[in-house]
Amino acid sequence: MRRSKKRSRALVASAVVAVLLAGAGTLLYQHLYPDLDAEVARTLDILDGHGQVVGQYHVPSAEEIASLGNADAVMFGRRLLNETARLLPDNVGNDLNCNSCHMAEGKRPFGNHYFNTGGGSYPRYMPRPGREIGLAERINGCLQRSMNGKPLAKDAPEMRAMLEYMAWLSRPVPEGARVAAPSEGPIDSTLTPDPIRGQALYAAQCAACHGDNGEGQRDASGDIAFPPLWGERSFNIGAGMARLYKAAGFVKHNMPPAVTREPPLGQQVMPDQDAVDIASYFIHQPRPDFAGKAKDWPRDPKPKDARY
Amino acid sequence: MRTPLKLAIALAATLAAAYGIARSTPYWFAPRQQAEVDIHDPTLIEQGRYLSRAADCAACHTAPGGKPFAGGLGMQTPMGTLYSTNITPDPDTGIGAYDYADFERAVRRGIRHDGQPLYPAMPYASYVIASDAEIKALYAYFMGAVQPVRQDNADSTIPWPANMRWPLAWWQLLFARPRSFIPDPTLDAGQQRGAELVEGLAHCGACHTPRGLAFQEKAMADDGSRQFLSGSVLEGWYAKNLRNESTGLASWSEAEIVEFLRTGRTDRSAAFGGMADVVEHSTQYLSDADLLAMARYLKQLPAREGRSAQWTPGTDTTTAALRGGDYRVAGSLAYAEHCQACHRADGRGMPRIYPALAGNSIVFADDPSSLVQVTLIGGRTPHTPHDRMAFTMPGFEQLPNAQLADILTFIRNSWGNQASTVSELDVARMRRVVRDKPVHVVPQETAQ
Repeated sequence: MRRSKKRSRALVASAVVAVLLAGAGTLLYQHLYPDLDAEVARTLDILDGHGQVVGQYHVPSAEEIASLGNADAVMFGRRLLNETARLLPDNVGNDLNCNSCHMAEGKRPFGNHYFNTGGGSYPRYMPRPGREIGLAERINGCLQRSMNGKPLAKDAPEMRAMLEYMAWLSRPVPEGARVAAPSEGPIDSTLTPDPIRGQALYAAQCAACHGDNGEGQRDASGDIAFPPLWGERSFNIGAGMARLYKAAGFVKHNMPPAVTREPPLGQQVMPDQDAVDIASYFIHQPRPDFAGKAKDWPRDPKPKDARY
Repeated sequence: MRTPLKLAIALAATLAAAYGIARSTPYWFAPRQQAEVDIHDPTLIEQGRYLSRAADCAACHTAPGGKPFAGGLGMQTPMGTLYSTNITPDPDTGIGAYDYADFERAVRRGIRHDGQPLYPAMPYASYVIASDAEIKALYAYFMGAVQPVRQDNADSTIPWPANMRWPLAWWQLLFARPRSFIPDPTLDAGQQRGAELVEGLAHCGACHTPRGLAFQEKAMADDGSRQFLSGSVLEGWYAKNLRNESTGLASWSEAEIVEFLRTGRTDRSAAFGGMADVVEHSTQYLSDADLLAMARYLKQLPAREGRSAQWTPGTDTTTAALRGGDYRVAGSLAYAEHCQACHRADGRGMPRIYPALAGNSIVFADDPSSLVQVTLIGGRTPHTPHDRMAFTMPGFEQLPNAQLADILTFIRNSWGNQASTVSELDVARMRRVVRDKPVHVVPQETAQ
């Protein structure tokens, strides 16, 4: 009787010690090897034509390109869109890249993303040309207007590569559907611009990077870091960015970057009036003309901020 | 008597003696030093304002979003969170009831009004070398020019028995003994002035000198150990090595150090983390002569044994690879996607806007903590009148540990940089430091 009591006491004691040791060990292990990592990336809804959610869009990282069958073309397209002026000197006539306006490699909602370039959205009717155009033609529009340059042949390897990059980004979007993330953010287009106020705001919030004369800046290797906002090396009058509310919407939701801790660009959201004033100041500075402007809006009414 | 009883009595007697000695230190170890100070003398007040900036009182005693010098800034310690105190001249909640002797003893000796010792988070072990004239000017400024704020001090979250203050008197007996500044005769007058500031009021060592087991700085001045200002980690920020060594300040000129302290930036670097506050509250206001003195003093701190006084970059193969679309090196494609738009393919950033990574000594620092933390939570450069905009690095907490580790290892070893790798575990551990950051106590305005 006594012996078994002793034995059970010893047993209980060793059990307690074991539990304590295990607890301490677990705590120590958790301290040394914290189980902390990034939260699961948020996805965006994919909506069908009726606004029903038909899937989730996960914004892919450039590292996922390697596993694609057409990895080389997609990667080449990615580089062309990032560094258009350096890699396509015969087609770009100024100091802008595609991704000067298509922020974060074309993956930022409100930053002119490429998610909705697929899903059967091209070819489509657009009021400016007054006819149905394909995505290649849309890209050539950018080259001729925003980049004040020359179009690429539709079957040029460079054009195909850019299309392949956009196709990769839009692949999860089924026919007739869209990622529920506008590529352009909202802006109050009833506001009256004040370019004098805009000039002061430009000096305070834009000129540190884009220059007092809108001339932009290149980095130490000669690559474009901050695109010129006016002058001979900037976008021409035919570019979407030359239109007040397009420019203001872009400025409001994307500029200036690196002023908050918000990923991916440290951007803020600017008051609508500030953005409209800043845009009205810089878009009306001297910039190249667009030769084909007479052909724009041949049948539909011009938007109220059209420049010609 | 039985042995256990004897032992218990001996222990109680020792404790009682330890307690008694600790409580008696205000009478013999740090006696009051009374003096007359005219707190309305404008010249003295201005001197005091300058010295309060040199001493960076605001860095701790002004909480982000709080009123000047009203306290409430949380400081992380292994035991819990300490909150800085109200040092405005409010008689009830601040230091309004302090006479000069109380003030002097708090600043130089770490003993407050009621005779209790202050935590060494207050850098009295450095301030002790400040002269009587300096302390008088500081007193005139705080009493005569600082706006009184009625704001109660927040209690620390350190649990009993660790929150008992009397054992700190023993810490002070060991590590905060009275001393004065001893100029090194081998330095010129300018360097000696720099040493006096760096060791004393500017208390650079509080962050930049490694600490021992008892939390004491391993050196309070440049002694034979060469530990002074050799770099240390606090709240997950690595206050970098400031000695004239390869990974210290060897790659910095005196002019760059002055420019950095005055404006928070140079063409290739920018202050962030704790140093952004130091520039914003303190060094931007210091005279050119004092900044140059500090820079000249730092640049003569000899390298430690076995370390080079030069920094020699390796060959840059990174710029060509990134511009050519060669992403074979781990982390380089993620860098291109997430970092390159600002820090550029050549890693040289944009002068005074986006800091360089190539040749930036915080990037290839011995300890990558600051680099890991700034990448996770971002960082703000200080705002000074010198530049029209202050810039902020966004945080990248949303990227997985493995990708962040690859990116950080990549930038520490690219464009000629050479440094140790960063592991996924380093990133995971920094996430915990970030998660556990103290919250500051800033009372909201109440209706009067």
